[in-house]
Amino acid sequence: MPAVQETIEQVRKIDVDQYKYGFESFIEMDKAPKGLSEDTVRFISAKKGEPAWMLEWRLEAYRRWLTLEEPNWARVDYPKIDFQDIYYYAAPKSTPGPTSLDEVDPEILKVYEKLGIPLKEQEILAGVQKPVEDTEEANDNVYKSGRVAVDAVFDSVSVVTTFKKELAAAGVIFCSISEAIREHPELVKKYIGSVVPTTDNYYATLNSAVFTDGSFVFVPKGVRCPMELSTYFRINEKNTGQFERTLIICEEGAYVSYLEGCTAPQRDENQLHAAVVELVALDDAEIKYSTVQNWYPGDAQGKGGIYNFVTKRGDCRGDRSKISWTQVETGSAITWKYPSCILRGDDSQGEFYSIAVSNGYQQVDSGTKMIHLGKNTRSRIISKGIAAGFSQNTYRGQVSAHRKATNARNFTNCDSLLIGDQCGAHTVPYMEAKNATAQFEHEATTSKISDDQKFYVMQRGIPEEEAIALIVNGFVKEVIQELPMEFAVEAQKLIGISLEGSVG
Amino acid sequence: MNIHATPQRTPAETAFVDAFGDRLTQLPGDPAVMVKRDGAIEQVKAGLPTRRIESWHYTDLRRLLTSVADFDAAASTTALAPLIEGSKVLTLANGVSVDDKAALDGVSVVRLSEKLVDGSFAPALDLYGSDDAIGAVNSAFVADGYFVDIADGIELEQPLELQNLQGGAQSHVRLPVRAGKGVKATIVERQTGTGAATVSCVSQLLIGDDAEITWVIVQEQPDTATHVAQFKAEIGANAKLRLFFMNAGGKLVRQEVIVKAAGEGAEFTMRGVNLLSGDAHTDVTMVLDHAVPNTSSTELVRNIVTGRAKGVFQGRINVHQYAQKTDAKMACNTLLLSDDAEFSTKPELEIFADDVQCGHGATVTEIDRTHLFYLMARGIEEKAARGLLVKAFLAEVIEEMEDEPLVEALEAKLNDWFETHV
Repeated sequence: MPAVQETIEQVRKIDVDQYKYGFESFIEMDKAPKGLSEDTVRFISAKKGEPAWMLEWRLEAYRRWLTLEEPNWARVDYPKIDFQDIYYYAAPKSTPGPTSLDEVDPEILKVYEKLGIPLKEQEILAGVQKPVEDTEEANDNVYKSGRVAVDAVFDSVSVVTTFKKELAAAGVIFCSISEAIREHPELVKKYIGSVVPTTDNYYATLNSAVFTDGSFVFVPKGVRCPMELSTYFRINEKNTGQFERTLIICEEGAYVSYLEGCTAPQRDENQLHAAVVELVALDDAEIKYSTVQNWYPGDAQGKGGIYNFVTKRGDCRGDRSKISWTQVETGSAITWKYPSCILRGDDSQGEFYSIAVSNGYQQVDSGTKMIHLGKNTRSRIISKGIAAGFSQNTYRGQVSAHRKATNARNFTNCDSLLIGDQCGAHTVPYMEAKNATAQFEHEATTSKISDDQKFYVMQRGIPEEEAIALIVNGFVKEVIQELPMEFAVEAQKLIGISLEGSVG
Repeated sequence: MNIHATPQRTPAETAFVDAFGDRLTQLPGDPAVMVKRDGAIEQVKAGLPTRRIESWHYTDLRRLLTSVADFDAAASTTALAPLIEGSKVLTLANGVSVDDKAALDGVSVVRLSEKLVDGSFAPALDLYGSDDAIGAVNSAFVADGYFVDIADGIELEQPLELQNLQGGAQSHVRLPVRAGKGVKATIVERQTGTGAATVSCVSQLLIGDDAEITWVIVQEQPDTATHVAQFKAEIGANAKLRLFFMNAGGKLVRQEVIVKAAGEGAEFTMRGVNLLSGDAHTDVTMVLDHAVPNTSSTELVRNIVTGRAKGVFQGRINVHQYAQKTDAKMACNTLLLSDDAEFSTKPELEIFADDVQCGHGATVTEIDRTHLFYLMARGIEEKAARGLLVKAFLAEVIEEMEDEPLVEALEAKLNDWFETHV
């Protein structure tokens, strides 16, 4: 059929290396000397104007890191990383902490504009609006206008955070972590490293030593954060690693929904991204954390791309607390990421919804951990993996019930879809029950899009590629539904882009 | 976490290494076999696997194997009645073959020691990988076993029963079986004995095209014994293998099942029950390779765990890139019957072909309260109701064997276990 051939040809033109966000911007940067040593750690800490205890904490992590070995259990294959060949700190030069958008380098703003993150517009909109006294009314407004407060992180530093004033009125602190260390040291000191300790794992320890920025969110008791919070991470500079650290704390009865997005320019060499995210939910608190990860995945030959080694963990510290992770993973050459929930409080809940799409030579080893410690804790895992091209897509998850976790309940469902015969899909779940009243269920399937399904859709006059997109969208619907509106649309588009060229 | 440390040899490791030195002169084998033994003991010297080794994650052999029984060729063993009446029985006592070679028509039986002495068995002593601790211990020490060869086209009317009896000492045996083309046979492997024995056994089965083999493993070691075993099989084109195992004893048990669907149209069925009580630690680890197109497999394992026992099931299905049209399904269900019981499971799928149907399911839970309520509402007291539900849960697997004398014999074993353990 010539029509099919035509589609294939057309599709080939827009293969994986047509990464939409691959542009590079030339912005004057302030960098630390290349390589990692105690001096690098001191340099970063000094640049950030951190107190002595923070430096000490970093140095301790660095010394610990020297004794550790790189983990090799994940199903990913990559040449050894030379940790001395990376810049650990790179910041746009003009910014000794901008107070308003006017002070931000317009080049950076352009970057965010290109990415479709209208920082400026929102700031202006916010300025035009009259400050609303009554919080409830403010809440209503927010939902009508669907505004999102954004923290933009450019290479190593946070360049701008929007809607700060309005958030402050509600008592919510949303700022970069460097600012938090300076302005709210007591809060940072209390919670940092309490979920992911500096000794946790190779990459988390490295991050603890050299983290440069990230977001800090504190929602006080009883407050429902009046808007969605969002951070956009952008790696721009060559040869830099990005090590961000995010800390979100929800006090008793508080609620926050947080979104994270990431992109990077197209480069031939690999870049390292090793982030740590810590979530703390006290009694009755709820944190919803959504990620759309779209780091540069490398070109069609598997050259370049981001190494994404991330430690994300939420601690349901209080009774009846809830943490929910939703992720759409389409980027990165290598993904090594297991957002987890520690269900410590009685009746606490953990959720994990994930879509991992891999194409080209991408390697994904991702999943979750649900550690049931408290009584009547519940967790739910829905993972959808889609492998195409020459990619390897692994789900690795752990569900465990501690001896005292009476009535722990878990449901896990991980489905994999294979598109093409050169890719691999793997499922590695670990289930550990140490309590007889625990109830764990796990199911997994792997298959390709069945010819029957495809035939049915195509028979109704829908071309093959669209038919596949339709079926894939149906396959991932359960997860997309969990995303906040703003992200759901973006995610759906992303999945479409990632799979382009996989037919035929 | 991943800090490096040079481990000191444990008492069990020392015992193996010392015993190898002591027994070297008595171990049968030509130079080729002895080279394999040397290689194997080197692996033991490097240390028994710990939980850091992925395939031993839930059975830290280095920590769990605290002592090793001595060798004692004269230990007394009790004769065992065959599982199914009329079976042809071949017995090994304390690791030594005791039966005559006389066998059934078309079936040749050779003592494995002869195959070791003439060196023809050397290639089969190769290890499965760097984490093959059972293979390493066994290859280093194996002194005897039975080499069974069933000629093409033979259909055995009666089962062949291979008994491995151990009287509280240490033994390492192998049971290689070659089933020719079109062979139909049932083979029963019995593992039992007395006292705090240390036993390793490796069964190797090669199935010719179009053959149909049923292999039944009944493991009833005493509650003090260490039993590590491997069942390896390769299935030819259009051949069928039905494997059934029952683990109903032992203190530290690891049963590995390593199967390769090597010919197109090969079919593998695995059914198993693990009955765990007391302080038992029982691990069943399966690795199944679908290497060629159009093969299928189903696995169903049911476990009950009571007392302070710990159970493990790891199952990995590998579908190779060339193995299109594979159909593989695996399920593992567990009932935890006591507060201190533990169960860990890791069902893995590794899939490199796209036109496949693969799935796995796993559950760990206690007895369904609505089921219990249903029975109790009909005047059945709680204990009896629980018993009924647990037995039904297990019997379902056994009944799938469809071979009446076999099902009856296995159900009788199940009842015996309940009488003595629950």
